[in-house]
Amino acid sequence: MSAATGSAPVTAPAPPAPATAGDRERPVRTIPMPRLVHVELRKMLDTRAGRWLLVAIGVLVVGALAILLVQDGGEHPLGDYLQATTLPTALLLPVVGILAVTSEWSQRTALVTFTLEPRRARVAWAKVAASLLVGVGAVAVSFALAVAAHGSAIALRGATGDWNLAGTVWLGAAGYVLLGLLQGLGFGMLLRNTPAAVVLYYALPTGWSILGSLWARAASVGEWLDLNRTMEPLFSGSLSAEQWARLGTSVGLWVVLPLAVGMWWITRAEVK
Amino acid sequence: MITVEHLTKRYGAFTALDDVSFESRPGRVTGFLGPNGAGKTTAMRVVTGLTPASAGTATVLGRPYATLPNPGRHVGVLLDASAQHAGRTGREVLTLAAILTGVDRRRVDAMLELVGLTEKEAARRVRNYSLGMRQRLGIAQALLPDPEVLVLDEPANGLDPAGIRWMRDLLAGFAARGGTVLLSSHLLNEIERVADDIIVIGNGRVVAQGTTTELLAGAGTRVASVDDSALAAALEADGVTVAPLATGGLRADTDPDTVGRLALRAGVALRELRGGDERGLEEMFLELTASSAREGVAA
Repeated sequence: MSAATGSAPVTAPAPPAPATAGDRERPVRTIPMPRLVHVELRKMLDTRAGRWLLVAIGVLVVGALAILLVQDGGEHPLGDYLQATTLPTALLLPVVGILAVTSEWSQRTALVTFTLEPRRARVAWAKVAASLLVGVGAVAVSFALAVAAHGSAIALRGATGDWNLAGTVWLGAAGYVLLGLLQGLGFGMLLRNTPAAVVLYYALPTGWSILGSLWARAASVGEWLDLNRTMEPLFSGSLSAEQWARLGTSVGLWVVLPLAVGMWWITRAEVK
Repeated sequence: MITVEHLTKRYGAFTALDDVSFESRPGRVTGFLGPNGAGKTTAMRVVTGLTPASAGTATVLGRPYATLPNPGRHVGVLLDASAQHAGRTGREVLTLAAILTGVDRRRVDAMLELVGLTEKEAARRVRNYSLGMRQRLGIAQALLPDPEVLVLDEPANGLDPAGIRWMRDLLAGFAARGGTVLLSSHLLNEIERVADDIIVIGNGRVVAQGTTTELLAGAGTRVASVDDSALAAALEADGVTVAPLATGGLRADTDPDTVGRLALRAGVALRELRGGDERGLEEMFLELTASSAREGVAA
């Protein structure tokens, strides 16, 4: 081995197996899960739709930060900067989750996907994992940008700044982004139709507020089932037992249930 | 090796496949022939695990498709060339398949070259592909992981004559190396040229199956002579059923040897003498599937 390959593993490459009569009986293993996740991740980013969606999130985040930096000489607490980066992310990222599933049906690639891996539940879980990876990445970037913007407001704009932010607020913001993403994924699996899933996803909060203003009962039910309201306390930093229960109930209805029903359907349905 | 036994698929009251059994053997090209809606695609979808069967079994290489650990490595499948993401490039489609099945990514270039897609075409998005290019891309995807079985639904669709010729050579070569090929088509002459075995399906049932030679032998002989009426009389005198062809000449329900011998005895000079040809197969095909065809067959 030459010095150029110094970073390569020390072990010598195994000699090629001798060709035998049973050569075609290649020892083929089940497709490993990380590889499925890798492919799903790549599929989210290798189309124009996927890329533009991420670009749009980036533009919104940068725009929101620019406004904060200009307004009042950048004099805002860190919490405001965090909102400026996580809210646009939480707003659009669910579409990434929706498209990860619905594009398989609208573009009919499910035909290829499920012939290459007929254990469809594994593909569905790989989509969940890949979406979460994108989500965690987006959260990390949002946090970093918020901190950087706040820091530069102090350094460049002479703002006093306010670094105080409870740890639970960070967790709450991350939870807000990731739950929305999972909800999008669940709606995608349940409906398998891009426009339907997108419309339902965005119409739901408005639907709750219209329903709540028309009918008092709905407003009280909404306290338990309107994900937008049950997630609100996440940002305040601490949740009471009842708030946890409300969050759990709404997440069960809008995230866990669509995912479970969608998963059940995907593993059984005929792929057209 | 593909084995289908007593396969039945019902959609409510509609029976798409009715007790279908057949085999596709290694080293041979098996042609699946039938009119639109006969059940060819449904059968292939059941074989590849996309559609659950109502009854019966389908195995590939001795096991149900869905239990193959990494099916792409064993079975190349192309059911619908249009089922590709319009926003992905051809090269990306193959790269994804290479990553998923775990084959060397350098095979992507080899496959692009094999199916005749240029570097430039591979960099274009699938939405800009013609149907023929999509078929080529689909074939490349199916062959990429070096499988031993191919399942192709109407692979000649959208290909130009040179492309059809290329496809034929490719499939024949694949089978000659010991591979198993199952392909469907409603293009009779196409199937006849490439297939070693033919399964004719109509209305969800297998109406005929056998080697291409056997089936063509059953299709009779096409003969033309300087005096067709004298020849017809000579053939009928020997008990051979004869029918005049619209294009001139006769169709005799026997082998060419017998027709030639009888013509010699009758002293009629022949102009043309052929065993079951594409026309013969076409007639047989229309006859066998008459009950399921959308258009009635003119007698």
